Amino acid sequence: MSDALARLEQWFAARGWSPFAFQREVWSAYANGESGLIHAATGTGKTYAAWMGPVLDALAEHQAPRVLRRRADAAPLRVLWITPLRALASDTEQALREPIEAMGLPWTVESRTGDTSAARRARQRDRLPSALVTTPESLSLLLCRPDHADIFADLRCIVVDEWHELLSTKRGAQVELALARLRRICPQLRTWGVSATLGNLDTAADTLLGYRADGAPHPRRLVRGIVPKDTHVEALTPDTMDRFPWAGHLNTKLLPEVMQRLEASQSAIVFTNTRSQCEIWFQSIIAANPSWFEFTAIHHGSLSRQQREDVEDGLKTGRYRVVVATSSLDLGVDFSPVDLVMQVGSPKGVARLLQRAGRSGHSPGRVSRIVCVPTHAFELVEVAAARDAMRAGAIESREPLDRPLDLLAQHLVTLALGGGFTRDAVLEELRSTRAYRALTETELDWVIDFVTRGGNALQAYPEYARVQLVNGHYVVTDRRVAMRHVLNIGTIVSDAAIAVRYLKGGRLGTVEESFVSRLAPGDKFIFAGTPLEFVRLRDLTAWVRKAKGISGAIPRWQGARMPLSTELSQAVREKLEEARQGHYHGAEMQAVRPVLTLQAQRSIIPRPDELLIERCETRDGHHLFMYPFEGRLVHEGLAALFAYRMAQLTPISFSFSCNDYGFELLTADPPPLEEALEAGLLATEHLLHDITQSLNAAELARRQFREIARVAGLIFSGYPGQSKSVKQMQASSGLLYDVFVNYDPDNLLVQQARREVLERQLESSRLGRVLHRLSESAVRVVDVERPTPLAFPLLVDSTRSRVSSEKLADRVRRMTVSAEKSTRSGTSMTFRAHEGRATRVVK
Amino acid sequence: MTEPAIPAGAVTHTIADELLVLLPDRAIWIPGRRMVIVADLHWGKAAAFRAAFVPVPTGTTTSDLARLTRVLHDTSATSLVVLGDLLHARAGRHADTLATIAAWRESHSELDITLVRGNHDAHAGDPPASLGITCVDAPYAIGPLIGVHEPQEHPDGYVLAGHLHPCVSVRGRGRQHARLTAFVFGPRVGVLPAFSSFTGTGMYEQSAQDTLFVIADRDVIAL
Repeated sequence: MSDALARLEQWFAARGWSPFAFQREVWSAYANGESGLIHAATGTGKTYAAWMGPVLDALAEHQAPRVLRRRADAAPLRVLWITPLRALASDTEQALREPIEAMGLPWTVESRTGDTSAARRARQRDRLPSALVTTPESLSLLLCRPDHADIFADLRCIVVDEWHELLSTKRGAQVELALARLRRICPQLRTWGVSATLGNLDTAADTLLGYRADGAPHPRRLVRGIVPKDTHVEALTPDTMDRFPWAGHLNTKLLPEVMQRLEASQSAIVFTNTRSQCEIWFQSIIAANPSWFEFTAIHHGSLSRQQREDVEDGLKTGRYRVVVATSSLDLGVDFSPVDLVMQVGSPKGVARLLQRAGRSGHSPGRVSRIVCVPTHAFELVEVAAARDAMRAGAIESREPLDRPLDLLAQHLVTLALGGGFTRDAVLEELRSTRAYRALTETELDWVIDFVTRGGNALQAYPEYARVQLVNGHYVVTDRRVAMRHVLNIGTIVSDAAIAVRYLKGGRLGTVEESFVSRLAPGDKFIFAGTPLEFVRLRDLTAWVRKAKGISGAIPRWQGARMPLSTELSQAVREKLEEARQGHYHGAEMQAVRPVLTLQAQRSIIPRPDELLIERCETRDGHHLFMYPFEGRLVHEGLAALFAYRMAQLTPISFSFSCNDYGFELLTADPPPLEEALEAGLLATEHLLHDITQSLNAAELARRQFREIARVAGLIFSGYPGQSKSVKQMQASSGLLYDVFVNYDPDNLLVQQARREVLERQLESSRLGRVLHRLSESAVRVVDVERPTPLAFPLLVDSTRSRVSSEKLADRVRRMTVSAEKSTRSGTSMTFRAHEGRATRVVK
Repeated sequence: MTEPAIPAGAVTHTIADELLVLLPDRAIWIPGRRMVIVADLHWGKAAAFRAAFVPVPTGTTTSDLARLTRVLHDTSATSLVVLGDLLHARAGRHADTLATIAAWRESHSELDITLVRGNHDAHAGDPPASLGITCVDAPYAIGPLIGVHEPQEHPDGYVLAGHLHPCVSVRGRGRQHARLTAFVFGPRVGVLPAFSSFTGTGMYEQSAQDTLFVIADRDVIAL
């Protein structure tokens, strides 16, 4: 055994641990110069598996332990540790620092994120630590420095933590681009990824490591960490289904059962799917037993960092016994295991279920347990289905992105700032990433044009230039461009966040502007588990004071609704088929039996080779409910497609809503269903044409353009205290989209918006397969008196898209002014943002 | 005097005994005065974006000018009143944009143009004198009516204003929904839609005393 390894083992032994076999495997692979991916449940020693490779390397270099007296004496930047959440950075920093301090390694470990203080940043400007913990955005910012080749010159290892979280996002592609740059600076760089278990680990590893010039992936090692021996999934079931809702996710009907379980546990995490749900459950638990206030806490992404850190710490030390959380607690370095994990609402995916279950008892060979708390009847089916899918090993894959050009535009400006680039070198570098390995020269030239001249439409404006060509190098010469760019780097798009602060001082977190705009002074709302009274809105801050009582509005945050995974959709179809045949296995299916029986009475439970269409009329109009059971994303595409195809037969206007089981098409007059079925409603011919037309009609691409406009630098989100002249430079992405479509329809960003909707949002290849399946199905049209249990959730869904073939004026003549938005009574003339119309235009 | 016919899709609305014709091109025509009133033109907005490194295609100001030409042609108006925000920003006063505007002015040299200054005009500055646009501060009397930029009641008469870019949300059976640009007439103040096609909209909150007209493509519809 080497000296270095002996020192490391001593440190492990001092903590009462001994290294796991998979950790040793990673360390020796690292010593051999290998790269790879470590996958296992969270919190099972993956961090030290990845970290100790470079540490052992350094221990061998520095034989004698030594106390670091001056920061400048530490080793130069050797390890870059990329974490998806800046909230995780400080925890990670601590976990990494502990062993190197104990072992006397002359290294410094620091983090650098959006939260890092100005003083520390300044210090880091002169000299980076030996190991830097950072986010993808902060890494891109470092690449903007003209001297970035120097500061990364001694880099030996990059660890990308929670790679599964980044993989199928633009942030993941952003990491790919940064890694390609760093590999160019240090060709010997070793890269290790740390990931939860995925269905496509090979792709995940190849994406992380990039591709060789000949297009082949790099050799790499997949290391499997510790997985729990088994996972037990159970659901709380209501005594009777009589009053248990068929839809909605905000009810707390099962609170008594939840309290009972919490009572019996020493430490528990109650996971929820949304921040509103989190606030509601926290409030309900406290209301049910006020004495629990002492040891019950709330944790979600919109709370202040202080509060989140307090909760994480309290969970570790045992100060908090119950924490109600969102996915904000899904990731974590050094969390303590709890003895009870609850999941409110459907887990929506097998991987997520396993990950959350993993928070309980995750030492080797122990069983993980999770108790699901359904909020409506069909979630019982989903829990039963998730268990089946889990047993069958159907874990979801996450697909990396293909060529997002908006991100490329951003990255090229980054490179231009960071010392400049040449066309041929950058093409080679880009093609070494998975995301851009198929990038064509035409595409690259278009993006270069876009950042230099603004695209072809702008040739008449030579003075417009973010990036300029100087002696064959693309560089940024204007300081304003540089400032704008560094302020807007990144790919995360969020609604304008309004800080919530006490009048007396103290920050609670953030809510969305749309929520605050509906509040009048004196209104009460609940946030961070505290009842608050809204006093006023000023300087992007909602000033509040504590309120008496425990009632009030709960803020809503717009987050993408998590769709049911393909794997879980498939499992749900199988569960329903069992039910159709009269087999109800397990407590969950037994509990939901009355609801499914009612479905069969009012309508039918469709066979796997049938498409069920339910038709009924209510006060709202004529409804068609269709159930392909293929997940929300596919349904959104199908709904738009079917609405478009029917609208070709007669002038008609549809509004539609979708969920994971099916979709609803609603019209004022009866839709031509039979005629459409005969004319090929389900046909796979002309699919691409029809779907393209329908997504324009439903404005899906226009919506998608929001993110693209932000990433490509079309929208400047600004900075605090900005001047009026900056505000004049703001326009909504929807408006920009319209301008591009009208005046520069060939713009590749517009095309990217369509492509993203098609491929990512509508999963077009899956859509084609589904349509093919449906076209060979028997169609069962059932006229129902009243909406069935399957229809009900669609009926009450308020998120709707629209497709119409009627003249707008004809539609409007039948409409009335909506009173929905009016929340303040006014005098003769009231507008929602009387002073700040300009800010409203931004949205 | 023979008056031109009311254009297709337009509607009439009488205020203070003045017959106003609300045009689907987001303008008010007063046939009795041979006058067209518009608000919030925001000329050169896209150019201002480009100067600030935001790539926005060219053509927005040009197509807005073409629309204005059509309005003036349809109505045979001899005067044009702009209720504020003629130029978007100082950075938008680009040579190409000003040349486009100058050429347009040349082809409407007989037209009498008055700008009632608005908040954007304060930053962008008055248009070049060569354009022959009379610039005045609010309030500006138009017969019994008073033209301003930012809506505010006035003791001397009914006010016509811009600034808010009003838009209305309408709903119908089958959960139909649409957001439409609108003319809003309150008891003492009326607000015009923004003429510019490259502007956002402000959400209007209905008050029972208001009369609303929305623009649905080429039709103005009273609600």
